[in-house]
Amino acid sequence: MEDLLVYLHFVVLPQMIDALVIGVALAVVALGLTMIFGLLDVINLAHGDLYMLGGYAAFTLLGWGAGYWGALVLVPILIGLIGWGLEELGIRPLLARADRATVTLLLTFGVSLMLRDLAQVVWGTDTHAVTAPFTGMASMAQVFVPTYRLFIFGAGVLAIGATWWLVYRTRIGAVLRATAVDPGMVASFGIPIRLVYGLTFMYGCALAGLASVLLSPIYAVFPTMGHDFLVLAFAVVIVGGMGSITGAVVAALLLSQVQGLASLWIPPVWAETMVYGLMLLVLVVRPSGLFNRIGED
Amino acid sequence: MPQAKASGIGAESLPKPAPKPTVGDRLAQVLRAGDADNRQLRWFGLVMLAFALLFPWFAGPFYMRLAIEALLLGAVALSVDILLGYAGLLSLGQAAYFGLAAYVSSLMYLYVSQSFWLVALAVSATVAVFSLVLGAIAIRAKGVYFALITFGAAEILSKIAHNTRAIGGSDGLIGIPVPSIPLLPGVAIDLHSNFAFYNAVLAGLVLIYLGTRRILNTGFGSLLRAIRENSSRVPYLGYNPFWYKLLTYLLAAQVAAFGGLIYPLLRGFVAPNLFGFEVSTKAVVVSLVGGIGSLIGPLVGSVFITFLESVVGTYTERHLFVLGLIFVVFVLFLPDGMVGLMRHLSERRRRPA
Repeated sequence: MEDLLVYLHFVVLPQMIDALVIGVALAVVALGLTMIFGLLDVINLAHGDLYMLGGYAAFTLLGWGAGYWGALVLVPILIGLIGWGLEELGIRPLLARADRATVTLLLTFGVSLMLRDLAQVVWGTDTHAVTAPFTGMASMAQVFVPTYRLFIFGAGVLAIGATWWLVYRTRIGAVLRATAVDPGMVASFGIPIRLVYGLTFMYGCALAGLASVLLSPIYAVFPTMGHDFLVLAFAVVIVGGMGSITGAVVAALLLSQVQGLASLWIPPVWAETMVYGLMLLVLVVRPSGLFNRIGED
Repeated sequence: MPQAKASGIGAESLPKPAPKPTVGDRLAQVLRAGDADNRQLRWFGLVMLAFALLFPWFAGPFYMRLAIEALLLGAVALSVDILLGYAGLLSLGQAAYFGLAAYVSSLMYLYVSQSFWLVALAVSATVAVFSLVLGAIAIRAKGVYFALITFGAAEILSKIAHNTRAIGGSDGLIGIPVPSIPLLPGVAIDLHSNFAFYNAVLAGLVLIYLGTRRILNTGFGSLLRAIRENSSRVPYLGYNPFWYKLLTYLLAAQVAAFGGLIYPLLRGFVAPNLFGFEVSTKAVVVSLVGGIGSLIGPLVGSVFITFLESVVGTYTERHLFVLGLIFVVFVLFLPDGMVGLMRHLSERRRRPA
């Protein structure tokens, strides 16, 4: 009994805290994906590469002396603008087509290839380290957690909270939810839904940029960072329900715990496989995910 | 026909029994596509076939092997087109069957049997079982979920192959023996000869293409198109779309498995990335570039993209960028692909403005 408590306290608990921190960051990325899908019916396969660009942008900005805090502010803006350009030039012309879910998926895949290659031209294939703005450990009940991880947690929760407030408690959010349900009706009220689409896409991409700055000191910056993270974020969005904001957050926390705890007992690579297995299971039992789409919740 | 005249009045008005179709007629029927405006497409296909047959006479060994690879990718692309062009199902995981077939055939060659046909049978059976199970799961989910489930399943297979030491882990399987394929008693295809290998793969693919086209030009194909256009009305006609989609999925998986069956013989090794996202999406890319819903388009697109990549690769390492760019251009400006472009041009020529 004593042993079990010690095991839970010093092995399981720190692992859960780590998973919670990663889960919050994952939720930020998944939020962007799910909002874009909820409103535009677009599965943004370039999302992972925008996340990767965010990491490289942070690395470059730090090299230029912008400092971590400068990067934390500038990178989301930059990635948001790139996303806005992508929506304006690439996705907008396809939105009128009946098979837009398919063609936009294909388009964003092409963009993803281009971005991945461009990043290798500019930054090479090496892994770059990004230093955290502060070091040190915080401890509570003899469990030590790096202060920076606590900061990620706080910033992530703040971003999620702000998004929730924006979508569910403001006028802009009301327009957004209405557009997700019936864009034609919203347009007939004189609301420029193209702008709604553009801003949603921009906001979603900015969230990816934010998450990449937050995570870059932990995971470092490398060419395939986007692909690996995107697949996980997709699992989150699928489990939570495509286009569901609550679902993205709940599923991100759930899946990161599953992965974190499972890797205590089975090799981490198998823990990752288990996450996808769980995703398939959810799809079999409840194909539309755990929660309803934005605007219908 | 003197006898018919002698038999009196009325014989003339009786419908003549249809003449038994000759082999030539049947061939013509197979070559004839379903819709009326596919005349150009037939010529396109024949020109392509002629080019493919002449190709070995002027290509070196490097390009021969590249061409074989293009044809194998073509099989995966063809399977994407069967699903997307006819049943309206976008699969982002056709590499699952390519990889599964490649691994099963490699393991069979290494540990069980060197008989090509036995291995082919085992591959086909494995893929059939797997595709029926996964298909039943994926088809229940609608729209983009189908794409995501197929994607997820391929990703899981890739991870399993990557993590399982017994089947080579991340290194894959190497040293796969290359058997000769017995065709008739006393006649065998020696795959050590590039020329024979190329022609065997080409013949196999042409047979698969013709067979697929034959199947999709029957009532079954029409029903699939009806399901694609309006899935919710088809049940009122008394057909359950589920079973038709599942059959199509099975067919597509078998076509993709052809590529996987041959691949280990070409390269001599298999690796977990055969299941991967890159193969799945490349198959979708080449189908789109060639032309979705044409069946010939994916094959042409596959050859075009494979060679383009190779050519671009000699000038710059940035072939992914070029691939992505071509893809974006096709999605935005040429959604019907090369086949669509060609159709458009030949229609313009016929009606000069």
